[in-house]
Amino acid sequence: MDRQTYQEFNRTIYRQRLANGLLVQLLPMPGFQKTYATFSTDFGSIDNHFIPYHEQEAVRVPDGVAHFLEHKMFEKADHDAFDLFGKLGADSNAYTSFTQTSYLFSTTSHLHENLDVLLDFVQDPYFTAQTVQKEQGIIGQEIKMYDDDADWRLYLGLIGNLYPHDPMRIDIAGTVESIGQITPEILMQSYRTFYQPANMNLFIVGNLDPDETLDWIVQNQAAKDFPPAENPRRLFELNDPTAHDVIPFRSLTMNIARPKVMVGLRGIKQFNDGRERLHYKLAVDLLLDVLFDDTSDNYLRLYNNEVLDDSFGYNFEMQRGFHFAYFSSNTDQMERFADEVVAILESADKQIDAARTRFAGIKRAELGRLMGLLDSPEAIANRYAGRLFDGANLMDEIEALNAITLDDLYQVATEFITPQGISVYQVVPHHQ
Amino acid sequence: MHFDLASGVALHVIPTKQFKMTHVLITFTTPQTRDNATARNLLANLLETSTHRYPTQTALARQLANLYGAYVGMGVGRVGRLHTVRLRASFVNDQIAGTNLFTQVVELINEILFHPLIDDNEFDGPTFRIQAHNLQQTITALYDDKQFYANRQLMNLYYPTDAILRVPSFGRVADLAKLTAQNLVPVYRNMVERDRVDIFVLGDVDPVTVKDELTVLPFAGRPVAAMRPYYQQPLYPAIRRRVEHQPVVQAKLNLGYQLPVYYQDQNYYAGLVFNGLFGGTPYSKLFTNVREKASLAYYATSRLLPFTGFLGIQTGVQAADAQRVEELIAQQLADLCMGKFTTEQLVEVQDSLINQYRASHDLANNILGRQLLRALLDLPPETAVAEKINAVTPDDVARVAQLVKMQAIYLLSGEK
Repeated sequence: MDRQTYQEFNRTIYRQRLANGLLVQLLPMPGFQKTYATFSTDFGSIDNHFIPYHEQEAVRVPDGVAHFLEHKMFEKADHDAFDLFGKLGADSNAYTSFTQTSYLFSTTSHLHENLDVLLDFVQDPYFTAQTVQKEQGIIGQEIKMYDDDADWRLYLGLIGNLYPHDPMRIDIAGTVESIGQITPEILMQSYRTFYQPANMNLFIVGNLDPDETLDWIVQNQAAKDFPPAENPRRLFELNDPTAHDVIPFRSLTMNIARPKVMVGLRGIKQFNDGRERLHYKLAVDLLLDVLFDDTSDNYLRLYNNEVLDDSFGYNFEMQRGFHFAYFSSNTDQMERFADEVVAILESADKQIDAARTRFAGIKRAELGRLMGLLDSPEAIANRYAGRLFDGANLMDEIEALNAITLDDLYQVATEFITPQGISVYQVVPHHQ
Repeated sequence: MHFDLASGVALHVIPTKQFKMTHVLITFTTPQTRDNATARNLLANLLETSTHRYPTQTALARQLANLYGAYVGMGVGRVGRLHTVRLRASFVNDQIAGTNLFTQVVELINEILFHPLIDDNEFDGPTFRIQAHNLQQTITALYDDKQFYANRQLMNLYYPTDAILRVPSFGRVADLAKLTAQNLVPVYRNMVERDRVDIFVLGDVDPVTVKDELTVLPFAGRPVAAMRPYYQQPLYPAIRRRVEHQPVVQAKLNLGYQLPVYYQDQNYYAGLVFNGLFGGTPYSKLFTNVREKASLAYYATSRLLPFTGFLGIQTGVQAADAQRVEELIAQQLADLCMGKFTTEQLVEVQDSLINQYRASHDLANNILGRQLLRALLDLPPETAVAEKINAVTPDDVARVAQLVKMQAIYLLSGEK
């Protein structure tokens, strides 16, 4: 087992790629009662166009298949995996993002048995027409619930502006219509393609003994037969990699009291190397702090002019094949908010010049925030993005952040901020 | 380890090597009144915004950034009838930071609590106006979340018109108009001079050093009064019902019950297990029979408020199914009253509660929250929790279920 120690944080991570291709990583956290395990596949809502396992022809599957599959994995012929965890005193859950599906449990007892349950239920698909039909009702409700959530509509609306012809524009859960087209055969085809051990990783953090835990996993995997591995053949391609298809503006009316506005910025750079991607992401994070965080003069000016308020937030999302930033606030001055954010982005170089003395503090603050996550088994495991950042874990991320300089910020500002990538989405109260 | 910094000002130090961060919680506790919740929330917002030395939020934010992005924030909360203003700080421990961060954060806390931006007996005008306006907007925006809105409407139905607890801990927009930069100053003085104060420090620290460092905070002694958090109200002669129509896609059906089970009384653990079986865990009847088997709801959960004797249910349903869901919920409760659940379900819920309890020791906020309750109620550290949960019998659950009295039903529906 490969091991790497991070002296500064008194943490050691253990790694092993099993014979079947599954990557196992173990991070003990002495003093913790809980063990948290995630079992993840690189399969998310945007992976709807691919050549299925051992087939020749490409298929397009209905929107929402990855999320639907996630729900259905728990249900078996005569039991529900969820109940098995329950009987073992563990909490379990799962989630689906644009590019990943994760199954997880958290426990303070019976680690061995819970690990077996996790590996077994995810590696034993069972779909019938009847159970698929029932799930269509449940997920339909879930989608409708989000329809009433103004913040979610704002976010999804903006992504729809940024990627008007790409799969990201659709809710991760799909639509009521698209999930109606899902069949057991489609689920099985996606499963065979993306749930191969070599396309998955198991990350376990917290109360654990690495040698003993690895033994349990090896035993579990050795007892199963897997079909020969085949790299998933995704056919994801952006409709327009230069981002000239971005819709500059849309707005939606909802039953809310306060207007909400979100400005988006879509980046066009493509990456071949995971660590290069991580470096870019961390530099953009710092760039956005320089431009917009609460130590900036911009923030104070806009706050005092009530262009934004405490609901203001911004974020940068780096995903497989695409990345974007967004800036949002509840505000009565929606146009002004958008104009100000865009003006700050377009004058990024000048803003960085002015932030020379603040940079050290901003970087230290970002380091402190990441170090704070070292106390959370969930954060460490959930943050792990696998191939996206070439296997970097939280401690690697802290080291990478440490290496970023002010000059890197000028570089990423030039690459990231392009006029065609900018878009605005509003959610407006009925009465306005 | 426990110290008294002054009369009515207690320091609780919890040394541990488990965490890389140090956590500080300072609470100011007083009974909630009709008027003080809104005022104290606005006060908390003002205090965390600026101080004499850091007169803008930017100046304060820059200082926090320099302290390795230390978080120092203020807010309000409630323990039954008691209203608390809370200062929370968390920051990288001195060992990792390689500097005396603890001392510097305590200095900043001193600034925030004892040197607010007050001159000539009034808060800084522009800061006051903006914070009052922002709080108004923040409270208004909370109600845009329909789940939150529906829950508030249920509480308004459940509590009598004159009940103090009808006023949420974060206050009301209508009360903000009465507050001024002048009349908030006595609210501030009352809080720092008369409220009961508890200070908790959790992390890789030395208790005596912590105590010495904290003596820079100029807390004066104050009268010590016993805290009475528990709330009770008489039963209504008939169930109160309200249906409201708004353009929502998914209806919200919320139910309120009285359940006179209180924190650490003889029925407390039976109450926890009952709630876990009813709707408080994923192994509950609401989750399995209403959400999963009948596919009638996306969410259906219950929660027990052990200081107010309240049990609430929240569901998201199709408006057309509301009546059926209500009947199905009544059926689940009736089944619990008759002890209709398997030993297997009972054990699942018990294991889940024990797992939650153990896992809560890995979260600083949970540790601090529990310590706060023990301190306010003057209770010794809790012991043998798993044993107490496991000792709950099916009869205990049925007995507690029989104490549940339906009081209020609120439906937010898109259909007319």
